[in-house]
Amino acid sequence: MEVLSMSVDSVFSHKIWNDTELSKMVDGGVGFPMLSDPGGKIGKLYDVYDEDGGVNVRGRFLIDPQGIVQAAEILSPPVGRNPQELLRQIQAYQHNQATGEVMPSGWFPGESTLKPSTDLAGNVWKVWQPKK
Amino acid sequence: MLVGKPAPLFQADAYHNGKITKVKLEDLKGKWVVICFYPGDFTFV
Repeated sequence: MEVLSMSVDSVFSHKIWNDTELSKMVDGGVGFPMLSDPGGKIGKLYDVYDEDGGVNVRGRFLIDPQGIVQAAEILSPPVGRNPQELLRQIQAYQHNQATGEVMPSGWFPGESTLKPSTDLAGNVWKVWQPKK
Repeated sequence: MLVGKPAPLFQADAYHNGKITKVKLEDLKGKWVVICFYPGDFTFV
């Protein structure tokens, strides 16, 4: 698992932010590479660059070992992400790629999954119900 | 829409563990990768 963060700031700005602030919130400072994307060139490739603000908005992409984007979430600047939901999605996609099973709405690790088949079509209600 | 498609490849300078390095997405093939874009250093959330 590799985590990369990315903004239009320079690597020197990343260093100062890590050293003066983030290292006071996370023991040892940020553990993953903080990437610099001057002018939002990479942000444009991922369609998260805001031309008016000149910044990349809060886009998050989950890429599988084959290099395919499996999940994405894009938030405007005022609201932070939910890392627990990202972890849940990673566990769900890893389970899917290992077993071929699919994860119903609201699934959490350890809960029952579904095995797609002709017999299951129209019969999901017999084996799975939404949480009340 | 990118979901289900190959992630656009890139190379970028990075700050990591006190050093300036280069990160190439292609080099991470075979691993799960999370990329988090954000508006800027010293933003509040």
